[in-house]
This record gives sequence, structure tokens and C-alpha cells, in this order.
Amino acid sequence: MSKMLEVLILDDEPIVGKRLKPALAKIGCEVEVFEDPQAAWQRLDQKEFDIVVTDIRMEEIDGMQILEHVQEKYPRTKVIMITGYAMMNLAREAMDKGAFDFISKPFKPDDLRLVIAKAAKALGASISLETANENEA
Amino acid sequence: MSSIIISTDFSPVSQTIAQRTAEALGYEYLGPEYLAEVAKEHEIPEEKLAKALDPNASLWAISPKKRCLYLAYIQASVFKRFLGDNLVCQGLAAHLYVREISHVLTVRVLADTKLSVNQIAADKNVTPKKARKILECRERRRRRWAEKNFGVNEFDPSLYDMVISLSQIETSKAVEVIKDMVGYRKFQPMTYSIKCVKDKALACTVRAVLGPRFPRIEVQARDGTVVIKPNTLKGGKRQQAEALKEMTYQIPGVEYVEVHPHKNFVRKSNNSQS
Repeated sequence: MSKMLEVLILDDEPIVGKRLKPALAKIGCEVEVFEDPQAAWQRLDQKEFDIVVTDIRMEEIDGMQILEHVQEKYPRTKVIMITGYAMMNLAREAMDKGAFDFISKPFKPDDLRLVIAKAAKALGASISLETANENEA
Repeated sequence: MSSIIISTDFSPVSQTIAQRTAEALGYEYLGPEYLAEVAKEHEIPEEKLAKALDPNASLWAISPKKRCLYLAYIQASVFKRFLGDNLVCQGLAAHLYVREISHVLTVRVLADTKLSVNQIAADKNVTPKKARKILECRERRRRRWAEKNFGVNEFDPSLYDMVISLSQIETSKAVEVIKDMVGYRKFQPMTYSIKCVKDKALACTVRAVLGPRFPRIEVQARDGTVVIKPNTLKGGKRQQAEALKEMTYQIPGVEYVEVHPHKNFVRKSNNSQS
């Protein structure tokens, strides 16, 4: 049995984690959700995740700092940035710093699932998106 | 993979660099010849599209209304090509409307002024002094044309990711530098940038479709939602807005349409006073 993809979601808006956790669980991901960037930082110091999905604009610690921290500690981990304030320069900065992808809000859970599937492939794992569609049918 | 737009203040130069860059990278080259396809798609003569892109074309040659419409056709078709990857585009003024897309590298090439002047002098059989005046006049017209049709100062270097001066760097070196730059991660496509291209392509398509009947409109699109702001809706506003919506819903990719006519506050004020 293949190992489940371990995903950390960080967004200070509670609704984001509430929507995304079940959406990613449907495609076989083990998901931990954080609203507090400090708490997420501490968790990242304890454990290596396969994928980190992080908002950019947050109080105290922003998504770019999370990205840099993860890249330094776990170069293998794929970091996906999400933001409601998407702009070209911010997108380029995130990619330059090593982000795997950059998504603007609002987005559908399907959009994120596609990106997670790409990230899984880049990690040498695979995810069946069909499972999510069957579960939702 | 990324795309590249190359523009210049002297067109023969940009074509050479664009073609060589496309060859070096194994990318597709999209140049002025593409106007033939655009003309075929919209069933209009190619020379009319060329005139729309020509800042020196007079009002007799092309009216502002027609220029606006033909530029909308060109933009819609060019944006469709940018939905694909690995493109080097030149000679279609793409640097003026394919903007704020993070995986498109925009390059401005500054021709060696002395060489440009000599070339004009040779072509037109005039003195270098006269040739320089011709060059300056072309630049003024070009500046006015870009501002009027795209609201952009084409000569502002901050518009570009890279500016290369051919008086200091040889053409072959310029190609190498562009080839290196496009390999940077920040110029790679991402979900957000691909979506930006799709949204802008849809907005341009809507403008092109509505253009013949509604020439002065602004269109924004996001995730299939289209917002249209017509400058004027003559006659029955509601009927016109409904007609706009009906036409727009026929376009593939459009899921929802809103029409927000511009309010003419001057007319409103005059009407309330009379």
C-alpha cells in the first residue's frame, strides 16, 4: 500500500482549511490544517511534509517566510502558494524563491487537487483524481 | 514553458533577434506574417490589419473606429496563441497588450541609433541629418499611437523585463542573454499566470466579437465571468444591454455576463437642469 501524501495547509481564514481538508482527504492525502503561522512553523520544525499549501498575507509570519523556511529545511517539499492578492511581481518572487506553484483566490478545490496531483508526480508519487470524482458523484 | 516578446524602436532588428532566439530555444516564432491568418479568421484584407499596427497610417488610410476594431482582432488572435507554450513573438505589438503575465518575458531591444539613421538615409536616399529627423518623427508618432490605443508609454523602460542596447551588445550575445534569462524559475508558467492568459484571451475574444456592433467597450473576464462596460448605449439602454449579453453568451468559455454602462454625468447634470 503506497504511503499517503502528507500535506500541511496554512491559512489564517478558517473557511479555507475547512473546505480544503476534506477535498484533499478524498484523494488520499493526510492533511493537517493551521490558522496560526507560528503554530505551523513549530509543526514544520517537528515534521517533514510532502506538500505545504500556504497563504501569503498573514500576520506575524507571512507565506514567503514559510516558503523560505521550508525550502531551507526540506528542499524536497513542494510548497504551493495561495493568495487573494495575486500580482505578477509577487508570483515571480514566489517562484524565484522555490515555490512549486502559485494560485490566486478564489479557486475551486478541483484546481488545488490538480496542482497537488502535479506535485505528487514531481515527488514520484501518484494520486487518483478519479477517486475524488467518484466520492463526490 | 515560457514565452518571449521582443520589441524594438527599429523593427528589422527585433525580427532578427526574435527569429534567432526562437531557433536557439526550439520555440515557435510568431511574427508579422501571422496577420495573414488573423485576416483570414475575420475575413478582412491583411493590409487593413497592417495599417492598424502602423502608427504612420493616416486618418484617410484607417479611421480610429476601424483601427480600434482591427487591433481587437489582432489582440484576440495573438492571445489565443499565448495559450500555448514556447513562443517568441515580435512585430504584433504584443508588448503593449500581453502584459502582467509572469511567464512572458518582455524584452526591449534598442537599435544602434547610428546604424538606424544610416539605414534610413540609404533607403530614402536622404542625408543623415534628414534621416535622423525621420527617425525622431517616427518615434513621436509611435509614442502617440501606443498611448492612444493601449494607454501605455512604449518608451518607458519599466514596461520591460529586460532592455538590451545593440550599440553595446552584439546580436548573437543578445540572443544568448535572452536564452539564459528565460530559463529562470520566475519566468516559468504557474497556475496563476496560465489563468491570467486564459482570462485575458477570453476578454479579448469578447471585445473582438462585440467590436463591429459595439466599438467602444471595456471588457474584463475572470473564470468565465465577463464584465462589459460599454462607453455609450444609444437608444433603449436595457435592450442594448440585453443584446450585448445575448451575443456574449454565445462565445465559448463565457459562463456569466454583466453589463455596466458608463454613466454620462455631464449629460445627466444637463438633463436635470433643463
